[in-house]
Amino acid sequence: MSDFGALINLSISEAAAALRRGETTSVALTQATLARIKETEPTVHAYAIVSTERALESAERADRELAAGRDRGLLQGIPVGVKDNCYTKGILTEVGSKAMEGFVPDFDATVVANLYAAGAVLIGKTRCHEWSCGGSEPPTRSAWDRDRFPGGSSIGSGVALSARSAFGAIGTDTGGSIRIPATLNNLVGMKATYGRVSAYGVLPLAWSLDHVGPLTRKVRDNAIMLGAIAGHDPNDANSARVDVPDFLTSIDGGVQGMRIGIDCAYFLYPGVVDSVRAVTEAVVDQLAALGAKIIEVKLPELELTRETLMTIRMVESASYHRHRIREQGHLYSPGTRATLQMGEVILATQYVAALRARERFRAAMKNLFRRENLQALISPTIPVSAPLLEDVWQPRDDMENGETPTDGFVHHVYPANLSGQPAISAPGGFSPEGLPIGYQLMGRPFDEATLYRIAYAYERTQNWHERQPSQVYDAYPGIAASGSSAGTLRHSAASNPGAPRSAPFARGWDR
Amino acid sequence: MPNIDQPADPLTSAEHLLRLAEMLRLDLTEEDLAALAEQLRTIDALEEAELEDFPPILRMDADWHE
Repeated sequence: MSDFGALINLSISEAAAALRRGETTSVALTQATLARIKETEPTVHAYAIVSTERALESAERADRELAAGRDRGLLQGIPVGVKDNCYTKGILTEVGSKAMEGFVPDFDATVVANLYAAGAVLIGKTRCHEWSCGGSEPPTRSAWDRDRFPGGSSIGSGVALSARSAFGAIGTDTGGSIRIPATLNNLVGMKATYGRVSAYGVLPLAWSLDHVGPLTRKVRDNAIMLGAIAGHDPNDANSARVDVPDFLTSIDGGVQGMRIGIDCAYFLYPGVVDSVRAVTEAVVDQLAALGAKIIEVKLPELELTRETLMTIRMVESASYHRHRIREQGHLYSPGTRATLQMGEVILATQYVAALRARERFRAAMKNLFRRENLQALISPTIPVSAPLLEDVWQPRDDMENGETPTDGFVHHVYPANLSGQPAISAPGGFSPEGLPIGYQLMGRPFDEATLYRIAYAYERTQNWHERQPSQVYDAYPGIAASGSSAGTLRHSAASNPGAPRSAPFARGWDR
Repeated sequence: MPNIDQPADPLTSAEHLLRLAEMLRLDLTEEDLAALAEQLRTIDALEEAELEDFPPILRMDADWHE
């Protein structure tokens, strides 16, 4: 198997099987991915930096180990991207910020170390919005429609996967930043239980809300990645001492008899557009047809998740950034700086009130799961499909309350950040314009396995995940091994340490 | 001396927040702070009415199974 086009379209599971059958090599997978990056990056800008030499060295090592019978698991030899807010020893880590320009960590974040231990090939650092809450310039472009918003803040991870310039990627999620790019790019994104994946070495946005997790094109691949990166880490005080199961063991167990709740009043509120509502209802109907029992539930406490989460987020962000902003405020874009300073004017008592409100919400969610004996809650991931870039911050024509698309993005995703429970977004269908629409499952703490089981049962009944973004494919119909311009593509820290950066995007992204 | 028998309400108006922001030399506008003021009023109202039984616990409870 040497055709680059065929290689980049493999799932992680398929690539892992091909490696073990001797049909391809990690070097071939890596070269195909690098060629794809070279082709697509001038258009999509998914990568902050590409580690060509390191990736090829890792790939050669993976091939040697597999040939010698040392099998580290299904991620071995697979090219993956890592969001640029994760420390990578010897590789630039700039979190989309001018204040971090040229920063090269001297250790790896635990999630990166775990990827290396699993034998994964780190192909590069994927772009994220400034400090995971601002903007980016030039903007990372959607592979589905370059004029539409591809999500944030793990924007490069989402676009790299949909453009087929990575097999899997790491994102972080404080208020939906794994699940939003997942739904907008036709991907699977898992925000695991708080503490399931170590956040050590990940630049924080808000310590008590930050989650690290995988984005992939298929459910099984996501389970493989989470299995590789999860586990207790003594370096992270919030890391959970909970065993990590093999998430693949029960993944094909089906949903017969499972109880899945839906709060129609909250999850299908008037901001949910018809196409998203139809997709959600179709997923629910399919799960019911597969044997799940759909339970209509009510959880009024969902209504205050936005105010509660934002109060906590603002204070924790301000705490982390206030000294740096006083010294380097000019290196923050104005919108990001304002977003990160806002928490300084919140009183300590108000912060504690928000922490208490989180406990109230968590208790209500727990009681709901126990009372109804639920395995999961289901909802849309966001209320709309990808908006046009020019509309992202504008009040929607169809909403009388002035809600913008970004206001709506948080409606379904914030609850799981606040409660800490696991939540997955997976492909559920397409809008009439051909844009991906995902659905979300929220589960019980440390029960990601059940969410994978439900999502996999649904994935097996349809082929949404097989659809590919036409714009990138139309623009780059062939996979050229050489000859394409790399454009603004940056390579490893050693080869290009001081490349100029454009001015940050003025308007803040707050996730 | 402030009258401690009649403490002021927490800072929940954009005007109050702006005054604090100016004291801290923060580059925030009243427009920036309007939504925050509303958010904090909601939190304050919630605290007063419904948070008596909820101390701020920072742990993940795995026991959600019936």
